[in-house]
Order: sequence, then structure tokens, then C-alpha cells
Amino acid sequence: MQAVITVVSILITVGVYLFSRYLYFRYNNPLINIVLLSTSVIIAILIICKLPYAAYVPAKDIMTFLLGPATVALSVPLYRHRHLLKQYSLAIVVGVGTGTIVSMATVLFITQAGGLARDIIVSIIPKSSTIPFAVGIAQLAGGNPALAVAFVVATGTFGSVAGLSLLTWFKIHDPVARGLAMGTVAHGQGTAMALLEGEQAGSMAGVAMALAGVFTALAAPVLVTLFGG
Amino acid sequence: MKLLQMIGQGMLLWIVYWLGNQITATTGLPIPGTVFGMVLLFLLLLSGIIKLRYIQDAADFLLKHMLFFFIPIAVGLMDWGTVFYEHGLVLAAALLAGAVLPFFTVGGLAQLLRKGDK
Repeated sequence: MQAVITVVSILITVGVYLFSRYLYFRYNNPLINIVLLSTSVIIAILIICKLPYAAYVPAKDIMTFLLGPATVALSVPLYRHRHLLKQYSLAIVVGVGTGTIVSMATVLFITQAGGLARDIIVSIIPKSSTIPFAVGIAQLAGGNPALAVAFVVATGTFGSVAGLSLLTWFKIHDPVARGLAMGTVAHGQGTAMALLEGEQAGSMAGVAMALAGVFTALAAPVLVTLFGG
Repeated sequence: MKLLQMIGQGMLLWIVYWLGNQITATTGLPIPGTVFGMVLLFLLLLSGIIKLRYIQDAADFLLKHMLFFFIPIAVGLMDWGTVFYEHGLVLAAALLAGAVLPFFTVGGLAQLLRKGDK
């Protein structure tokens, strides 16, 4: 029985993903979030079929088998843009480095003041890195991977919808700076929006996204040990 | 042929990922193996030990469909509904401030430093 559920779960997940992806590209709307839409549909299906999450876990384990190599592959765009890394090294390292620290410190401060449990705090801290990093960081620090995904997706959606307007409002017009900010804060979704502004902003966002993941992974454990108790 | 090539490239990426995990396991550092794997792959590409063409088809495919992997993980949220119900306000405040402040910091700093470049 479980084997049948697993096979059907995989087929449904792939189908729902492909359909959400089709909708996203068909309507080209930042409010159609592929992860958010697919996840809601699958949760709804499981609830309707009265299946607990545990019944879906074997399917999940099979489907996420390639997540590790996919994350490692993030080096490829970084390598392709290595000339940009060199050209804007100071702005990139200082901007993205400070931004990641500010991002983590802000959420740490607010969630601690709000009295949240440690496993939730640890899951929200890496919200500005891409999901694979956030999942890895949350797991290593005793958080929950599903929560980490939710916070990353929420941040990415907010950042991709409001980010460019916020930057204009802050009088940040330089395309390199705008791209870096979008990639650092709103990772993949922000990068997609930055790309709409142009090649330069888009590439900088891609570079910032990859580096923000690495910086977050390096700094999060330190921050958690120092202040997360 | 094309499929075999993709599988081979995927295995090469898998080996780098595995090596990254070994670094995490050996050093005991609280840093995910994927981060070491990513840095390692970048260095291997820079040094020319791995050429881009050895891995690029598989890498591009995995990156193109990266969002797919997050869906099954996010389904786990179905067990966490009450957290959002109970702490929605604090979480929303944290996410909002945690996005707006770094937008301002990164954008402002980078723009300032770029002016220095010119």
C-alpha cells in the first residue's frame, strides 16, 4: 500500500510542478509562485485523501535525492560570471556580506523579542539564502527544514514583488547595487525580477544569491551560538 | 547517448557533493556539505581540473528545475500550521524587517562603493 502511495505521490508532485511552471511562464506573473502553488495543491490533496505527512515522506526522500548535486551546481553560474566577481569585488563582498549579517541579526532580534521557540528561530535565520542552504543550515542547527522552506519562499515572494520599488524609494538607482540587493535578500525569485531590469542587474543578483548562501552558511552557526542560546 | 552523458555529468556533481559532505563530517563544522561542495566545484573549475563542458548540461538541467526539489520539502508544512496561527504577527514582522533593512544596507553600501570606483 505504501509503495502505491509513494509512486502516486511522485507522479502527482511532478504533474503539479509542471503545471504550475506552465502557469508561471504562461502568465509571467510574480504572484504565481511555483513552490507556493504546488505545495498548497499537494497539501490539499493529502488532506482530502486523509493521508498524514508521514505517508508522503518516502516519496519526498526519493524526489529530493538530487538536491545536493543541484546545490553544488550553483557554482556554475558563479564561474560563468567570474569576471564580474573580480570587477566589482569590493562592492560585492562588503555589500553582500553586510547585508547577510543585517538580515540574520534583524530576524534573530525580533523573533527572540517575540519569544519564539529555538527551533523556529533557527529555521527563520537563513531565510535570505536559497532553499538548499537554508534547509542544510536549519537541519544542522536543530531547526525544521519545512519551516525553513516556508520562510525562504515568503521572503523571496515579498522581495520579488516589493524589492525594486523599495530600492527606487531608497534612491538606489545603480544597476549593480540594485542587482546585488535583490540577489542577497530575495535569492532566486529576486534574481528573476532583477533580470527583467537588465542583464547587468540580473547577473549581479545571481552572483549575490550564490554568495549570500555561502556567507549565511558561514555566519549563521556563529550567530546562533552567540545569541541563540 | 545524450542521456548517458547527462547521467555521467550528474555523477560527477554527486561526487563533488559527497566530498563536500565528507569535509563537514571530518571537520565537524556546523556548515552544510553543499557549501563546501559548491566552493570545491568553483575551485576545480577555476583550476581547470574540471572543465565546464564536463558538467554543464547536467548542471543547467538541475538549476532549471531546482524549484521542484523544494515542493516535497515544503509539504512538511502541513504539520506546522499552528506555528503560523500562534506566532503569525512576530514572524511577519521579522520577515518584513529582515527584508527591508538588508535591501537598504546592500543597495546603499554597494552604490556608495561603486561611486568610489569611478
